[in-house]
Amino acid sequence: MAPRYIMVIDNRKCVRCKACVIACRAENDVPDGYSRNWIAETDVRGQFPNLGLSFEPGQCMQCANPHCVRVCPVGATDRDEDGVIRVDADTCIGCRYCMQACPYDARYPHPTKGIADKCDFCTDRIRAGREPACVETCPSRARVFGDINDPQSEVSRLLAEHRTSRRKVEAGTEPQVYYIDE
Amino acid sequence: MFGSDSSKNGLIDVSEELARKNFSRRRFLQFGSAGAATLTFAPLLSFFSEYGEAQIDPGVLEESIRSTCALCVNKCGLIARVHDGVVHKLDPIPDHPKSRGMLCARGNSGIKVLYDPNRLKSPLIRTGPRGAGQWRQASWEEALDHIAKNLLEIRQKHGPEGVMFSSTEGFQEHFFLSFAEAWGSPNVVRHPTLCLASMINGTFNTFGSVPEFDFANSRYVIMAGANRFESLVTPDSVDLMRNLDGRTKIVVLDPRFTITASKAHEWLPVKPGTDLAFALAMLHVIIGEGRQDQEFIDRYTVGFEELADHVKQYSPEWAQSECGIDAKRIRKIAREFADAAPRVVFYPGRRSSWTTNDTQFRRAIAIVNAVVGAWDRPGASVPKAKISIGEPDIFPPDDIEVARCDALMEDFPLANKKDGTYLGVRDQILQEKDNHIRAWMIYKQNPLHSVPESRKTLEMMNKLDFIVTIDTMPSDTAWMSDVILPESVYLERTDPPHSISGAVPLVAVRQQVVKPRFDTKPCLDIMKSLAERVDLGEYFDYTVDDWFDAAASTLPVSVEELKRKGFYTDRELPEIGNTLKDGFRFRTKTGKIELRSQRYADAGYDPLPVYRPQTPLPNGKYRLLTGRTAIYTHSSLQNVSWLADEDPDGPNVWIHPDAASRHGVRDGDTIGLRTDYGEAQAPVKITNRIRPDSVFVPHGFGHTSPGLHERSRRGARSSDLIGTFQDEITGNAAMHETAVEIFPVPGGHHEEHIPVSTRRVGR
Repeated sequence: MAPRYIMVIDNRKCVRCKACVIACRAENDVPDGYSRNWIAETDVRGQFPNLGLSFEPGQCMQCANPHCVRVCPVGATDRDEDGVIRVDADTCIGCRYCMQACPYDARYPHPTKGIADKCDFCTDRIRAGREPACVETCPSRARVFGDINDPQSEVSRLLAEHRTSRRKVEAGTEPQVYYIDE
Repeated sequence: MFGSDSSKNGLIDVSEELARKNFSRRRFLQFGSAGAATLTFAPLLSFFSEYGEAQIDPGVLEESIRSTCALCVNKCGLIARVHDGVVHKLDPIPDHPKSRGMLCARGNSGIKVLYDPNRLKSPLIRTGPRGAGQWRQASWEEALDHIAKNLLEIRQKHGPEGVMFSSTEGFQEHFFLSFAEAWGSPNVVRHPTLCLASMINGTFNTFGSVPEFDFANSRYVIMAGANRFESLVTPDSVDLMRNLDGRTKIVVLDPRFTITASKAHEWLPVKPGTDLAFALAMLHVIIGEGRQDQEFIDRYTVGFEELADHVKQYSPEWAQSECGIDAKRIRKIAREFADAAPRVVFYPGRRSSWTTNDTQFRRAIAIVNAVVGAWDRPGASVPKAKISIGEPDIFPPDDIEVARCDALMEDFPLANKKDGTYLGVRDQILQEKDNHIRAWMIYKQNPLHSVPESRKTLEMMNKLDFIVTIDTMPSDTAWMSDVILPESVYLERTDPPHSISGAVPLVAVRQQVVKPRFDTKPCLDIMKSLAERVDLGEYFDYTVDDWFDAAASTLPVSVEELKRKGFYTDRELPEIGNTLKDGFRFRTKTGKIELRSQRYADAGYDPLPVYRPQTPLPNGKYRLLTGRTAIYTHSSLQNVSWLADEDPDGPNVWIHPDAASRHGVRDGDTIGLRTDYGEAQAPVKITNRIRPDSVFVPHGFGHTSPGLHERSRRGARSSDLIGTFQDEITGNAAMHETAVEIFPVPGGHHEEHIPVSTRRVGR
């Protein structure tokens, strides 16, 4: 079966070190002031000294039912067979409809390329059989990437062993990034 | 190896070179996707956007060169992806024994360090008053001649001891220290007394070595103040992070709710400087309730009876009154820890420069681990191994007979003689007890930030006739020097191979990835050229290649293999249990694990850790705490745009909401900070993540050097505020003894304050 790529993120292991964010900037030539991925954080919960604070890495959720693809007027963004949503830089006219449609705020307007850029799970790397830069560099292995069609893969194992959740499923996007919550 | 770069003169700035080419990026990407889907063409570097559109010749394939990161002390393995002489991406070496296949935010930002526009680009000689920023560019010949002339004049008048040498660790530091040795000055002062001297002393004098930790198999970990998820130490941080799925119980003592605390099962907001009370009460409970590993104690340790008597006085109720942690909780943790032993670690910490009684606290931690038998067993503290490697035959300098200026052996007989004590040396010079020291050679260090009480450091510098700084960036210290020599950054140098001890030891390789962008040199070349000018050339009769050959001659791998793999190790897993075998002798006076230290007793110190209360806080003042985040390394890397962009905490000083309302300051205001030692201003973050009696001043901000980017100058320089206190046994700077006042400043309230834009988790 052809691979279909997803990500499982273990929020318990994220320490907000930002290695993933900087690795992505370097790998994907993300201009200063913008980012393809991020680490979100909660407000501090509770009263001193019983406090809580959690982090949640994120990026394009590679939705199985992507709004961004539907709204694109020129067909520049599409979901490929491997499940990854990619932007064709030559076709994209930078109209930003996809940015409006994305419930995850996962795209940014590239200031010099004039496209709505976003995470593509590091296409060059995964085609060469490597992990996305953010996954490879993550010190705690909070980010796990792999093929959901392969029952032996780490992501399949994690999905089988853990209760996971997804973000904003009510938007009908069928996001393909799964979270193990803290 | 550097064929693709061979057509270029190494001195040409590659970014400018590439900027002159006039192709569009889009065309390149088109080619990449249509023509060669299986080849990885590295994307362009974002720094091009600073210099204009550029293009890489798609005919040249990417080259991967393995090396070792140098952006902090950890020595993580990296793979530099280089395209036509430009570094595009630093990937982690997957099976590296130290970094375990990761690079942190800093390691990933290394290309921004290489291409930092504020780097030192050529030797500089001061032309105006010191610190005025009047410099002229000089050739290496001229700068080194100038230094040699000054040093020789000082030697003639004051002897070789007239030159003081300061440096911090690194693969090229050896050459700087070799120069100091050949020159004949005993006045060398290194970084440990600003960092881990007390941890090393306390741990070493218990176990005879300083261990690593088998966190992968630990079931219970106590961290006191060690912020291992923000202040990253490899492999400790990485191994512990990977256990954050609930299988290891983590207890954190810290006056701040750090990220490490946020990941712990229990956070105990200990009163600053009182952690020793907690450790002693743990011993009281463990021994009082007979939960110790008596078999281990009988076989491997000395002094248990004395220890058992000694800790009777330290009940959890007593500890509660000192450290503020509930007695019931201390009992519970002590029992849980003993019950989970030996798969337990009471972590000794890394930077242990907190209080004047710090070494005794680190001793107490070691003793807690020892009495539950958590030594050299799976999941516990495990001794490090080291691979011995050959070195070139070097003509040895004469022994130095002159005494150190800081009277180290009188004041601190158990301190490390070679490292000296920073604060001790400075006092000697300021009090003019020693008028010999006239010059200061500084390598890879920024004492105006790292040494407490910067006004005294500045005063000392003003007393000196001649100061030389070797660095890669125009630091505050470099700016106050007479000559600045630019070192090549780590991606531009080949360093000698280094043997790094660890549970899995390794030989690390740092090799040149690209040619130097500017007129810079590695430290070895600098010291060698200087040595030749002061008639010490014979001590530097070797090259870096000789170091590689000598190392490889004692290893089962060739130089080529070493360089291809980026490291060498002789094992995949730690060998645990060697020190518990019959006949093993611990490297202590008694040959056993010393619960009671005879060496301390002989030197006049308490042979068992004795609690001493910290000086109480004066009314209205707060305890000043300092520390770091995972984004920067001490006072370096604040200049890196990527890191500053992604730093959610910034230069903000943390205060509790109670303190904020007491002083009428609001989140984001600029506030004033005053201690007996200096004043500073910084933006404030109001947070219940800190005790109401403490103020946290993050280290590494408030740079004064105009040579750095604006972003480096934000916030307060912690050394402007922290006073001069020393640990009694090691002379380590005690950085958490200072009391600080906070107050609103005119114009400090910013109506338009925009908080750092951090994404909030939205479910």
